[in-house]
Amino acid sequence: MSVFMDLNVISSNDKNRLKCILETAAHLGYSTVAINYVVEPQQKKPEIPQPRCVSDIFDKFPIVQGKSSPIKVLNRLTIVASDASHFRPTNEYKNFDLVAVYPKTEKLFHAACMTFDVDIICIAVTEKQPFHFKRAPVNGAIDRGVFFEICYAAAIRDNILRRYTISNAFVLMELCKGKNIIVSSGAERSLELRGPYDIANLGLVFSLSDGDAKAAVSTNCRSVLLHGETRATAFGVVHTMKKPQTPEKQQEETPAPKKAKIELV
Amino acid sequence: MVRFKSRYLLCEVCFSERSNLPLLEDKAIYHTLRAAVNRAHGDYGSAHFNIGVMVKYLNAHTGVVLIRCRKGHYRLIWSALTFITCLENRGQRVPCFFNCLHVGGTIRTCQKFLVKYNRQQLDRMLLDCKTDAEKQEVRRAILSCSLSAVREEEAYEDSSDDNEEI
Repeated sequence: MSVFMDLNVISSNDKNRLKCILETAAHLGYSTVAINYVVEPQQKKPEIPQPRCVSDIFDKFPIVQGKSSPIKVLNRLTIVASDASHFRPTNEYKNFDLVAVYPKTEKLFHAACMTFDVDIICIAVTEKQPFHFKRAPVNGAIDRGVFFEICYAAAIRDNILRRYTISNAFVLMELCKGKNIIVSSGAERSLELRGPYDIANLGLVFSLSDGDAKAAVSTNCRSVLLHGETRATAFGVVHTMKKPQTPEKQQEETPAPKKAKIELV
Repeated sequence: MVRFKSRYLLCEVCFSERSNLPLLEDKAIYHTLRAAVNRAHGDYGSAHFNIGVMVKYLNAHTGVVLIRCRKGHYRLIWSALTFITCLENRGQRVPCFFNCLHVGGTIRTCQKFLVKYNRQQLDRMLLDCKTDAEKQEVRRAILSCSLSAVREEEAYEDSSDDNEEI
């Protein structure tokens, strides 16, 4: 049994609702859930929300179905970009475990695939895809390890949105051939979540193969998490941390080079 | 002679409020399923639905449903299950969703899985217990499950009764 993840649960100020969603997710067997903060910039300088501390929501996290560990909760930022100036990586982005972008135009989609420092690129599910996907940027994104996301909550909510979701998914699958896809919920209420095996089966509708569909809810999500971690480090190899102040002072008092000189003489 | 092969989908119906559980009925589930398959896959889906789809078992206390499909197209039926949002019963619309627990080739494998699953639920319940009396009750139920494979049947009955009590 693999580890299932749901990397898109819409955040809300209503604590009880969030609690209810997380409890349902744990019951369904998701071990990791990311709370999504969507930013839709209107003006030039968008305000980035401060992610709420995850330990605020629960005193004790619910235990995952079939496992003995509690559910892991992450924060994720999604930027709805309709202009190139909307996406500017600042220090505020670093508060989030994952960063996603939802490009509205073809130019931005190209930039998101090739240059933007993001983990996830969202695909339109509530409207007909406003532009054609090109092979070059999609391949570029696959090479860089950026993942494409399909949300299924809209498909569950409404008949017409379901058509858009499926047709957009079809177009994308033609180009990326089932690689680098994650399927996540985008749920606003607890009843919009579905079990991981149901979603793996839903891959049939999205024209994913069996293995790819299962990877879309398990191993691909893990790659996204690891990719998110490398953003905080230098190439995923070097990680810098601020040292506590006290030991530095001691070093200043006894300068090392002088001491070494004496020993030489 | 080769028998007709089927797939059995063992599903759990999840409600937001547990008080809605006794509302479950074979007929209501069958009609909801048929409507969902028709909406998702049109006439083609409905045609497949008419042959061989049946609600075999329903436990109104735990909300577990066993659905039989033909082996050839069970994934079609299953994908329609995902899009169910509410259950219509006696003129009431109850929001709910189906969560597939297990897909088996025979009823027997599904039953085995269900026994195991219900026991797991008791373990989870033990953590949520507040009073000592509740804890004792759940502990007793868990012990009664693990006696022996021969008593699986009875144990299953016990565990489902306990689910109802708590």
